[in-house]
Amino acid sequence: MIKHLIAGVKRGLGLHMPGRSLLIVPDDIFLVSFPKSGNTWIRFLLANLRFPEQPATWANIDRLIPDPTGTTKRDFDRMPRPRIIKSHECFDPRYPRVVYVVRDPRDVVVSQYHYHRKIRKIADDSPIETFVTRFLAGETCPHGSWGQNIATWLYTSEGDPRFLLLRYEDLVANTARELAKVVSFLHLSAGPEQIAQAVERSSADRMRKLEKTQTDKNGLMRGSRKDLSFVRAAGSGGWRSDLPVPLVARMEAAWGPLMRHLGYELSMPSPSKTRDSDSLGILSGSTPR
Amino acid sequence: MLTQFKYAVEYVLGLDHAGRHFTVFPDDTFLVSYPKSGNTWVRFLLANLIYPNESVGFANINRLLPAPGVLSKRFLRKLPRPRILKSHEPFDVRFRKVIYLVRDPRDVAVSEYYFDLKKRYIEPDVTLEQFVKRFVAGETSSYGSWWEHAASWIAARHTNPAFLLVRYEDLLSDPIGETGKIAEFLGIPATPERLGTAVQKSSADRMRKLEKQQADQWTGTRKTRKEIPFVRAAASGGWKESLPRHSVEEIEVAWAPLLNFLRYPLHTPELDNKTVPAWVRTGEPL
Repeated sequence: MIKHLIAGVKRGLGLHMPGRSLLIVPDDIFLVSFPKSGNTWIRFLLANLRFPEQPATWANIDRLIPDPTGTTKRDFDRMPRPRIIKSHECFDPRYPRVVYVVRDPRDVVVSQYHYHRKIRKIADDSPIETFVTRFLAGETCPHGSWGQNIATWLYTSEGDPRFLLLRYEDLVANTARELAKVVSFLHLSAGPEQIAQAVERSSADRMRKLEKTQTDKNGLMRGSRKDLSFVRAAGSGGWRSDLPVPLVARMEAAWGPLMRHLGYELSMPSPSKTRDSDSLGILSGSTPR
Repeated sequence: MLTQFKYAVEYVLGLDHAGRHFTVFPDDTFLVSYPKSGNTWVRFLLANLIYPNESVGFANINRLLPAPGVLSKRFLRKLPRPRILKSHEPFDVRFRKVIYLVRDPRDVAVSEYYFDLKKRYIEPDVTLEQFVKRFVAGETSSYGSWWEHAASWIAARHTNPAFLLVRYEDLLSDPIGETGKIAEFLGIPATPERLGTAVQKSSADRMRKLEKQQADQWTGTRKTRKEIPFVRAAASGGWKESLPRHSVEEIEVAWAPLLNFLRYPLHTPELDNKTVPAWVRTGEPL
């Protein structure tokens, strides 16, 4: 009851995190991804691009590129517009413009596994097999499964001029080129020099260095284990060495067509049944129930 | 500032409207649809089935089959569980068990047009053709476009055993059979007699009569234009007469893949081969 009362007072003062009740305005921009898909890196990139006068750090990122679950309503109300807002939510029709970042789920699962060890959500020696099972079922976070999250966005919005799809892997391979896409999508005024500066200021090295001194200044890792870092490999394809083959097979069996659609090559021979676009049973005359 | 303070007080007392920010329990079931797709009819059907001794009407439907959008968080918290709740939300991952009611969008467009006139959401001189343009763009509803709504649910859930897809048109042609399927999905024991009684008590005629008596006792009809009824045609295929040809094409060109998937025959035959792509299957592994 006391807790509830404090929460009420915070609401009165605008000091609560708005979460899903965030008031969205028509010029808002949302940076959406499933967790552990490079969202924080791109927040740094966009923050450094948009606010070159104050380099992004772990301490100020929640005010530069706010997070409805980590930034207070008051800070939201005071931000310069248009706001670029971080989100992990599944499809939301209220988001006016969306940059969606997708990452190979085989790398996402490894990254989330280590992150959950870091924040003590799972035990240090918790087997990755168990984690993959929960990951496939969408039980490791409140934002649906990887497949659900991306499919709700992709199927509702792919091809819409208000929707930009980026792949984390392309961002790693050529950060400046992909960032230029965002710049033109959002009509930001930033030339090649500014883009290069933003890339430089958001490098994995710099983010790692900052992390060492600012761990407790950011809600993503406050109170977490210091022996594991938030910025880990910052690369792509790590699953090839980190993820046991049978687990790779399970993930590809669950999301093969979706992964292929996104350009993620499958390592397992795919069952011939799922090759064609019309072979999943969902299109056959009998469905829906 | 004052509104924020009022909100804070309501929040502490649990009297703030639940909207989409209420606590969802894992044993909740949601009756989800895009607006104007037969949701209120199914609420009547289920309420009559579950509460055979209640006199179900517009005056008590918000209590019997609650709509979080218009009720307080406290009311929702105090409901006996498992709850069955009405919703118009596009995909919400927190909803574990879902009855998804879908209706031919060409009929939905016409129905929503008259409803928006009734509610005075649109000016009386807006034509149906103008309305459909905005309908297709998703500008007539805060729940997204019909496409976005259906696509988000189907992409995320259609292979999930806790997801029951019901077509409004099937419900019309076989109300007892389809209501039976819903009852079975909900685990409600229902004999053909009980189903028959529920269907009868929820007939369009009876609902029209109740609407006349209780329009002022329900959030959906209070303070609306009384000369336009809430329970209108209660039929399918009305679009063939009332929807301009151009508007029909607009809807079909925009949404052919899902129309085909949901077995709504197209007026424009060259769109027949548009299908839902294979990757629209996200596999919660079965």
